[in-house]
Amino acid sequence: MSSSSQFKQLEKLGNGTYATVYKGLNKTTGVYVALKEVKLDSEEGTPSTAIREISLMKELKHENIVRLYDVIHTENKLTLVFEFMDNDLKKYMDSRTVGNTPRGLELNLVKYFQWQLLQGLAFCHESKILHRDLKPQNLLINKKGQLKLGDFGLARAFGIPVNTFSSEVVTLWYRAPDVLMGSRTYSTSIDIWSCGCILAEMITGKPLFPGTNDEEQLKLIFDIMGTPNESLWPGVTKLPKYNPNIQQRTPRDLRQVLQPHTKEPLDGNLMDFLHGLLQLNPDMRLSAKQALHHPWFAEYYHHTP
Amino acid sequence: METSVREHSEGIHEHQGIPKVILPAEFYKCSRTDLVVLISRMLVSLIAINENSTTKKPDDQITLTRYHSKVPPNISIFNYFIRLTKFSSLEHCVLMTSLYYIDLLQTAYPDFTLNSLTAHRFLLTATTVAAKGLCDSFSTNAHYAKVGGVRCHELNILENDFLKRVNYRIIPRDHNITLCSIEQKQKKFVADKNAPGSFDLDSYSYVSRPKSGYNVLDKYYRRIVQLVGSFNASPDKSKKVDYVLPSNIDKDTESGPQIQQQKGTLSPNSHYSQKRNSEAKDTNIYRKRSKPD
Repeated sequence: MSSSSQFKQLEKLGNGTYATVYKGLNKTTGVYVALKEVKLDSEEGTPSTAIREISLMKELKHENIVRLYDVIHTENKLTLVFEFMDNDLKKYMDSRTVGNTPRGLELNLVKYFQWQLLQGLAFCHESKILHRDLKPQNLLINKKGQLKLGDFGLARAFGIPVNTFSSEVVTLWYRAPDVLMGSRTYSTSIDIWSCGCILAEMITGKPLFPGTNDEEQLKLIFDIMGTPNESLWPGVTKLPKYNPNIQQRTPRDLRQVLQPHTKEPLDGNLMDFLHGLLQLNPDMRLSAKQALHHPWFAEYYHHTP
Repeated sequence: METSVREHSEGIHEHQGIPKVILPAEFYKCSRTDLVVLISRMLVSLIAINENSTTKKPDDQITLTRYHSKVPPNISIFNYFIRLTKFSSLEHCVLMTSLYYIDLLQTAYPDFTLNSLTAHRFLLTATTVAAKGLCDSFSTNAHYAKVGGVRCHELNILENDFLKRVNYRIIPRDHNITLCSIEQKQKKFVADKNAPGSFDLDSYSYVSRPKSGYNVLDKYYRRIVQLVGSFNASPDKSKKVDYVLPSNIDKDTESGPQIQQQKGTLSPNSHYSQKRNSEAKDTNIYRKRSKPD
């Protein structure tokens, strides 16, 4: 177990949802770490986000998930010692903006990042853990081009029967339509929708569905993906926030939506893959494991021993 | 007579003047009051065992813990647990998990014993940690402390103590208790499978065990119904009712006979040896299964 004297605190890396993150140096090993300082509140005690993040991340040893090395208890704070990562995907994409024009990533890099995202996510789902807050800010990258899932503060274990499944999960732009319509029985498919949004964003450099409230978010989704109905998605009309008066839209060609924002041609495999992630009906979405076997990734899985 | 009762589906029946409730097969479909009755009975019978003069530790060997009160609180376990459940809206899985946490904490912290001085603070701490760790809807420690009758500052310390002792292994899953004790032996935050003398941790990996046990709470549920479902067999007389599981339920056959021999006990040693045996069996099954995959 570590003690706080083992680490030298360096510059501040950012403010998380419930904590401040610093770069740190392990004085004995010379290895850089990220130190996430969580204040213990007198009313709240240990924040629930910290309890979840620690208890769930302990179980997740995977090269595409940020490692939690240790937790240090001091008088009035907890320090979570994480693997150090150079950047996050949001900042990385922002850094590529020219003037006011966002630019997407090269498609071979998009594919490599998406592959790693799904590898990490498949591991979470196999370990019966939902992330529930996948977005570019929570995907950490390093100079080697590795991508790792971070920030498990909203994550939860599934398989343990719980009555209250909050629909206030996932940052709005990456939130699945079933969750937006108030579904409380969601499962792993909630994370897959976010992966689809992230893929489109990596291609174009801008968010696919940048809504400002729940209603507008659903409208933006249906404008592109079409309005769901009972034949495409049995049960959709029974969801708590289903609006029967919503304007009926037919699906647009996703390729035509994305292609103007990238120089490289978007091929059929890629579009088929993206559609597999962005299915309105959660039961129709690919699982993380299925996604990894999609032909778009053929060059990767053919090389895996 | 037994069979005539069992032929009915769920419902309430009289049996020798004691109402009989046939419980649902799944704990999350139970009424929370019934769960509280059952768990309280289990706690009271554990306390009775721990305070039994032949097994009790001599006074000079008792280590005081943060869970100790000076005198037993003036409210029964059952009434206290009902109070917490009602005013803090505790969910089914939180109630069941607090039972699991007895085994977890006793393994990680052998100085802790459930008795009439420690049970109340333990319950308050366990339900607070479980609600915050597992549920999307939970309250502040200030609220839990008020309901539980301790100062918030004290609950904060108890919560912190609990999390540290069990090394944050608070998800009720089959191997968390084992992993927690390995981590403690290795003095590591996360168990190191390459450490000398460490056993095959790979068999504990969730990935190589696709159907691995996430049903630990179901097991606890079945076990307590078997152990303290009967009103006459339970030392806690808060509610005059007999509980049985539906007859078609897949009974925990391997542990059934052993439990009957030590009626009304979930004594740590025997309980753990049973658990270890069944874990060892599971592991073998999964090893066999994982090969063809």
